[in-house]
Amino acid sequence: MVGFDAAALGASLMRPERIQSTAVWAATVLFALWATFTIPGFSSGANVSAIMYSTSAVGIAAVGMALITLSGNLFMLSMGATAAVSTILFASFLHFGLFASVILVVLIGGLFGLAQGIAVGLFRTNPIITTIAMASIITGAGSFYSGGLTVVGQGDASWLGVGRTLGLPNQILLFLLAAIVLSFIVERTRFGRELRLIGLNPKAASFTGLRVGRTLVLAYMFAAMAAAFAGALYGSQAAQGNLKLGAGLDFDAIAAVLVGGVAIKGGQGRILDAAIGAVFLAMISNILLLKGLSLEIQLIVKGLVVIGSVILGALALGFRR
Amino acid sequence: MAAIRKSKMISGATLLRLVLLAALVATFAIWNPAFISGRNLYALMQSFALLGMVALGLSLTMIAGEFDLSVGSMVAVGGLITLVIGAGNLVHGVVAALAFAVLVGLVNAFVISRFKVSSLVVSVGSMMALSGFAFWLAGGKVISTDNFDLGMALDDPLLTVLSWRSVVTLAAFLLVGLFMHYTLMGRDIRVVGSKPQVAAASGARVGRSLVIVFVLSAATAALAGSLLSMSLASAAATTGSTLMLQAVSAAIVGGVALSGGSGTPAHVLLGSLILTVMNNGLSLIGMGATGILFANGLVLMGIVLLDGQLGAWMSERLAMSRAVHSA
Repeated sequence: MVGFDAAALGASLMRPERIQSTAVWAATVLFALWATFTIPGFSSGANVSAIMYSTSAVGIAAVGMALITLSGNLFMLSMGATAAVSTILFASFLHFGLFASVILVVLIGGLFGLAQGIAVGLFRTNPIITTIAMASIITGAGSFYSGGLTVVGQGDASWLGVGRTLGLPNQILLFLLAAIVLSFIVERTRFGRELRLIGLNPKAASFTGLRVGRTLVLAYMFAAMAAAFAGALYGSQAAQGNLKLGAGLDFDAIAAVLVGGVAIKGGQGRILDAAIGAVFLAMISNILLLKGLSLEIQLIVKGLVVIGSVILGALALGFRR
Repeated sequence: MAAIRKSKMISGATLLRLVLLAALVATFAIWNPAFISGRNLYALMQSFALLGMVALGLSLTMIAGEFDLSVGSMVAVGGLITLVIGAGNLVHGVVAALAFAVLVGLVNAFVISRFKVSSLVVSVGSMMALSGFAFWLAGGKVISTDNFDLGMALDDPLLTVLSWRSVVTLAAFLLVGLFMHYTLMGRDIRVVGSKPQVAAASGARVGRSLVIVFVLSAATAALAGSLLSMSLASAAATTGSTLMLQAVSAAIVGGVALSGGSGTPAHVLLGSLILTVMNNGLSLIGMGATGILFANGLVLMGIVLLDGQLGAWMSERLAMSRAVHSA
């Protein structure tokens, strides 16, 4: 008799390294149920769409950021700059057509990631400072390219900006696609296994002959492409680009990764955890908004949620640096 | 012999930075003689007063092997608290800003040492919370004050090129430099940064070291924001957004290792001056804010590459060629 092993599933969910992630998944469901019954309008079609739209770009960036965190290199602090410049590039290329514009933007994002991957993966530079420096370089280059002005797109971006398939926003479907694809890559490919092992112990990974440099270069390329793709989503909503769009994306992505329970020290956690972290934070912001609280309060709460979730994760794990 | 060599190395490091600083000054002065006018040197020292103060605090966390990503947000909060609470009396505002910063520094240090959480993670959370707090304080607008007297007094030129603002920053460097050099706690901070496990085993006060560096980091950032808000008679939530990048560059140019354990306030002072001279000089020759931002990014990327494997490789080649010559 092949039966569902509830005990094994329970044990898996409650492993020390999974407690935080499980808590966030559960909290997401519970919050959604609570809000549905206690907050008028929360479950209306318009509001659910609003949550989906606010989740999509951050979620795509978060699953890209999770690759960096898994590799043990903490964060990529150039995602906001990459997304912002990508909105400008997206608007500039829109006259080639929506599909071509997105492809071009993502490829250029990949180049940004390549530069950072070479620095961190091959020259072993400090990952935080490298990506801060790259953010400045990207922003400076983007500002030069746009002349500091808002670039208005010449073309139709509505499929990406407001289009729907089967009643769902195309943006949320693309987020789900990105999360599933990256999750598959991390869980089922050699690259993914090597990434996780590098995160667990970079020196041991190097000694056993894993391709550390190449793996990190790929991780940074994927992450930067995710940020560029997120920028394209922002650009498509307004059909224009400027350096303010998406500028804070990296910190939203970091918050989602941390809240989702991807271990800061690397090697542990799943791409889908970062995805659910993004959903959780978007829902929290939405609930606060429906309660009449300002954007400023949302920012404060988001920061405190990040700190709280990290403390929870550390307590659950008996974490030692 | 070892002592003599060490002394030479120290003076060599100082000399190298002084030469770099002198070379930059000479280059820009040749390019545009107005660079060395009293008025421009005064403006340069005013910029230094802001950047140097932030770099000083941030460099302490880096020397301790940690990092405080929230210094930029704290500059904004410090400025806003000063004007909001100090509407009637700016001195009250400054005290409130510093008190708030001490509290934030304590919370950061507590979470980092008690829960053993990475300082990068904690300060990301702090940065986000502080950023929200800044926007909340500002209420969506720029806060201004009618109390010009204190700000004008702070900015009155002293000896042509200084002001009380830049004097305060120089004094802060002096005080922290003395603290790091002559106290056991200063030694503990450095030990904590270079060998965390050894530090704990040998009895260095890890927890207290973290408290001191994070409180000083938050306090110097808040004070920088406070002084700036009084000078400008206004404060905004987005102030300080690019300061962290420049502060990191100044600290690293000043010899602070990204891995922790090395660096002195004196060299961070020189690093801050080098960065300030570069930014001021580029501005004077007509480069816009965009170009200066780009240049800062390139400088930091270059620094970080030298600090990493590429720098190690270059040092190795240099040592080899020196060995060949001496053979």
